[in-house]
Amino acid sequence: MHDKQFMRETVAEGAKAFKAGKMDRRSFLILCGMAGVATQAVMAGDAHAAANEIVMWNWGGQSEECHGNAIGKPFTEATGMPLKFDTSGPLQGKIKEMVDSGNVTADVCDADLFDAVALGPSGHLEAIDYDVVSKDKTLPDYALEHGVSIILYGYAFVYDTEAYGDTPPNSWADFFDTAKFPGKRSLYKWANGSLEAALMADGVAKDALYPLDMDRALAKIKAMKDDSLYWGSGSEAHSMVVNGEVSMGMVWQNRGKNIENDTDGRYKLVMNEALAMPGAYIVPKGNPAGREAIMKFIATAQEPDAQLQLLDCLGMTPSNPAAFAQIPEGQQPYAITSAMNIDKIAFNDPVWWGENGGDAVNAFLDAIS
Amino acid sequence: MVARPLRRLSPGWILVAPFLALVLTLFLGPIINVLWLSITDPEPGLGNYAALFAEESSLARIIWTTLRICILTTVISVLLGYSIAYAMVHVRDSSRSRMLALLLVSFWISVLVRTFSWLMLLGRNGLVNNSLEAVGLISQPIEFMRNELGVLIGMVHYMVPYAVLPLLASMQVIDTRVLSASRSLGATGGQTFWRIYLPLTKPGLIAAALLVFIISLGFYVTPAILGGGKVLMVAEYISVQLLVTLRWGTAAMLAALMLAGVLALLFVMSRFMKLSTIFGGART
Repeated sequence: MHDKQFMRETVAEGAKAFKAGKMDRRSFLILCGMAGVATQAVMAGDAHAAANEIVMWNWGGQSEECHGNAIGKPFTEATGMPLKFDTSGPLQGKIKEMVDSGNVTADVCDADLFDAVALGPSGHLEAIDYDVVSKDKTLPDYALEHGVSIILYGYAFVYDTEAYGDTPPNSWADFFDTAKFPGKRSLYKWANGSLEAALMADGVAKDALYPLDMDRALAKIKAMKDDSLYWGSGSEAHSMVVNGEVSMGMVWQNRGKNIENDTDGRYKLVMNEALAMPGAYIVPKGNPAGREAIMKFIATAQEPDAQLQLLDCLGMTPSNPAAFAQIPEGQQPYAITSAMNIDKIAFNDPVWWGENGGDAVNAFLDAIS
Repeated sequence: MVARPLRRLSPGWILVAPFLALVLTLFLGPIINVLWLSITDPEPGLGNYAALFAEESSLARIIWTTLRICILTTVISVLLGYSIAYAMVHVRDSSRSRMLALLLVSFWISVLVRTFSWLMLLGRNGLVNNSLEAVGLISQPIEFMRNELGVLIGMVHYMVPYAVLPLLASMQVIDTRVLSASRSLGATGGQTFWRIYLPLTKPGLIAAALLVFIISLGFYVTPAILGGGKVLMVAEYISVQLLVTLRWGTAAMLAALMLAGVLALLFVMSRFMKLSTIFGGART
């Protein structure tokens, strides 16, 4: 009996040390293994121990440093709560799994706004508190019940100036026209952006895209399949272009500047008809820091200063209209909401994607494989 | 061994029992969970499995692509592996250890590194295409990569060491006097190989083929990158269904199908031979 009690206490101590960062995960798991206790049981009962910090679940890379400086710093100064990171990438399935398991370890996910539509109604997300977070500090359609857009990213394309220097392509119609612009293309593998681009190329107006006409979009995609490659990550999209595998490539617009630099200007970004995607902050149900703290954090991220720093650091475009006019000159050609671009942009409908995204992705994969 | 009925549970079992229970719970629990998910999500019933037989089912096509690539990979890897292992048992000891070292080095290199190396070597602007273009042999780059051929090259390269090792093990224990006997009784070299050597290496061949095939079924990184998005295999599809489209029932169904496939394969093999000899168990 005493042994059991002792073991339980040992593991509980271990859990505290693990959370405080004094013990690494492996030692903690070994400890649990020795004590014969499932980690989950200890961690779940004690999850609220982490209420004095914010854990942001994002995609790693530079974003850790950038979010830390742009949002973490002012937030910590105001509240004393530090910002920590889980960089494993908050895909929908992972968020659902985390909430279902009852062991929520992240406070805010750097996700897509359509994730808020897909996961909100099933009870996996906290509702955004619009008494703390402002609907006016983002674009009108991008403040939803379970998520609010902080930055925008987008799907645009780059082209090879050596191949098409004389008559440069300037629209998705040109991108899909392999007769007039011979060469290989690259598109996003998980449907998003690729479908919209295909429809615009087929003559659908950029403000009349939704609901997406799937048959029409897939027919256009299939027609170009033999000349297309498909990428699954930003770095793959980048390398397909930089290694000269394609002469026009769809990319996340915030990579456009890097690609122009890496190829000494040989590849050039086209922002006309780029599709703006609302990147959003969403909160897993039962987040350890509690709803009040995380709403304050999101409100901090809405401030123009924070958003302009993210633009400088990551190339993500501000969604707060108050920041649009302050976009620095060097960033204007690449930013979605700069004065020179904003009228040329198509805007993603997160509600359509949240409700139909699963079917769309599967239909797209079926068409390209 | 003398058969002796166990009247009491041996104390050894009591020592092992907690760990056995732990392993069983941690291993069987999730598997049962997956099987359960495949018949309950999104609604109870066999709907997920029925989707396999739906008309124009993309699932059937993905499974067929996976099988086709895995079978081709297995055949090519085992053929290559057989020649390499054959060479290794017939060279001098010093050369053999050098060959083994080279084999193991390639065995240990991460799959991502290998995948990207192939892109640099055989890609559109890779070393091979650029050299061939420079000497004027071709005018358009040959498309080795970003298609099914690319996936095959990447997978075979990864799987060859897995084929060599069991084959080498089975070739090393062959009594070479049998071959001399065959030759001295008048068989030609070819006859000796086909009728004596090949049958003796059969357990190794089957082990190599099984190992390669089963590992190939789960390939994810290589097809995703070298296939250019157009070669969709089951493992990648499962991951998309889990993480992106939230069709956990479909993902669980495919996982269950793969598990059942592998088990069935092992069962069929066990009908023909003792699995323990294949996996290097004691020879009796």
